[in-house]
Amino acid sequence: MKGVFSAPGDYVHFKSQVPLHKIPIGTNQWRFYDFGPKAVPPLICLPGTAGTADVYYKQIMSLSMKGYRVISVDIPRVWNNTEWIQAFEKFLDAIDVHHIHLYGTSLGGFLAQLFAQHRPRRVRSLVLSNTFLETRSFSAAMPWAPIVSWTPSFLLKRYVLTGIRDGPHEPFIADSVDFVVSQVETLSREDLASRLSLTTDDASVGSLLLSDSFITIMDTNDYCAIPQQLKDQLGERYPEARRAYLKTGGDFPFLSRPDEVNLHLQLHLRRVGVEARPDLVHNIPKGDLGGSPSKENNGDDSDNSRKDDRGGSENPPAEYEINPTSPESSGSGNLDKQPLDSSECCHLDHELTLTLYDFPGGFTRETYIVPPATPVHFMWEYILFHLLRYISSLYIVWNYSLEFRQVV
Amino acid sequence: MSLRRRTLLKVIVLGDSGVGKTSLMNQYVHKKFSQQYKATIGADFVTKELQIDDRLVTLQIWDTAGQERFQSLGVAFYRGADCCVLVYDVNVMKSFDTLENWHEEFLKQANPPDPRAFPFILLGNKIDIDGGNSRVVSEKKAKDWCASKGNIPYFETSAKEDYNVDAAFLCIAKAALANEHEQDIYFQGIPEAAVPENEQRGGCAC
Ligand SMILES: Nc1nc2c(ncn2[C@@H]2O[C@H](COP(=O)(O)OP(=O)(O)OP(=O)(O)O)[C@@H](O)[C@H]2O)c(=O)[nH]1
Ligand SMILES: [Mg+2]
Repeated sequence: MKGVFSAPGDYVHFKSQVPLHKIPIGTNQWRFYDFGPKAVPPLICLPGTAGTADVYYKQIMSLSMKGYRVISVDIPRVWNNTEWIQAFEKFLDAIDVHHIHLYGTSLGGFLAQLFAQHRPRRVRSLVLSNTFLETRSFSAAMPWAPIVSWTPSFLLKRYVLTGIRDGPHEPFIADSVDFVVSQVETLSREDLASRLSLTTDDASVGSLLLSDSFITIMDTNDYCAIPQQLKDQLGERYPEARRAYLKTGGDFPFLSRPDEVNLHLQLHLRRVGVEARPDLVHNIPKGDLGGSPSKENNGDDSDNSRKDDRGGSENPPAEYEINPTSPESSGSGNLDKQPLDSSECCHLDHELTLTLYDFPGGFTRETYIVPPATPVHFMWEYILFHLLRYISSLYIVWNYSLEFRQVV
Repeated sequence: MSLRRRTLLKVIVLGDSGVGKTSLMNQYVHKKFSQQYKATIGADFVTKELQIDDRLVTLQIWDTAGQERFQSLGVAFYRGADCCVLVYDVNVMKSFDTLENWHEEFLKQANPPDPRAFPFILLGNKIDIDGGNSRVVSEKKAKDWCASKGNIPYFETSAKEDYNVDAAFLCIAKAALANEHEQDIYFQGIPEAAVPENEQRGGCAC
């Protein structure tokens, strides 16, 4: 694996503008962004296994600028589909949101459909991207699913990462993969285990009350991790849904083809009757909408820049109502100041001078890929080896050990 | 088992406001026509599946706003276009004169690798009006223009009467498909194309 991943400039900008929220609801910790005019019914983005709330930062930036409210969440640590529905409902109640539009990619699209099926009154429309109707084929491909919750982090991570197609990619797709990999690195063992459990928990989407005309299918036509068969099956389920296919984009078109995805999202929202409120956008710099990019807090929030406190256990969760004034990582002293040439932010009328910098180590792939050589790992390999002797996915473990030894 | 990927063709329709772009698409996809004029804002698209020879093709046809104040399209919109359809109203001279601008604008925005080989098609719409008595652009004039642009195909249509609409769009689809073929050939040198479709991959569906 390659060396340091440096966060893209527009992501740094995003982090300086958009506050990250962390709130405990019930037994779950929710980590999410919520940006744009509160008066507009939100578009909620649900990521796949290898995603976090952050993977939609390009949608949040662009659509909020146009007057839409965008929320993106980390899939919380839930272990089956019923738990998901209950947890998500509690989340919506907690943030006081009633009617929602869901944009789900991969696992997120599956979860979006389940929620729409079981809470039909809340879900006004769906955008489904590279996703599926049932988990059967994933559980079949992962016979070690029953022990997923005991599997060590490095193996889970490796399993998730091998699901991402290796290069050679064109530059935008390559960058999108890098970004997602950097996000996977931030996930804890429980995060990964719970997502894999969700993917393999036997379930399928039943019939929706939602009419097809409120559904947009946004698949990429080049390739993605979801087998074509499953995507076709989904397409057949919603024959009248709008087909917003993208010619290319790979697994993460929201990162690799953001302008096309944003255009389709906008068209979808317009179609299902969500009216943007661009008139409220100019309030953003004044801090009314939960994002305060004002100069005062540039530099005074040294606390949690880039640590991203995923476990949520070390740092006390920020209060939802209080947090908005302290966006993470607004930059600190030792950095070069450069103007950001992002056309996306041209509508904001405040200064766009930003600090760009590499995240030192925070996104380094080696952090997890090359763990210290503790005997525990070898023990695990040994155990798994015997457990999974006849299972094809074994080669992952085996591969790992080979690569591992080369590195050590 | 490896299912064949669908062929997705992206078509962009340009032309002055009111020439009938939206009506032509509605007629083609929904078999509907409305007298009422409702300006297109920004852009929108429709899809249509059709079979060309033995191939199943999905046409993604992008409608655009002719009115300048509604044009707010980024490059994203033009990216990956396989064919550009220019529309004018045979009864309105100005809509013919501006074709030049639309043509240029498209090439500038879409920036295709070989501008001269890029497939355009011209539609002269509303030939039904007044039994053709009010038309101001002759077929010959239109065809001369097409010839000057490298022999682009020309169709006279009526969205209202559903005249020549299917034929025009079939031609559009074929031109787009041919363009896409060329891109295939163009991309053959890239190693990614060599990755077998049904290659076994470990890992989850991310
Ligand atoms: N008689 C006749 N009227 C037509 C025909 N095509 C369109 N119209 C009418 O012309 C008007 C404009 O048609 P549209 O399809 O909305 O025009 P447009 O090119 O999409 O216009 P913009 O969206 O503003 O760019 C409508 O009132 C249609 O009913 C046609 O073939 N014959
Ligand atoms: Mg129109």
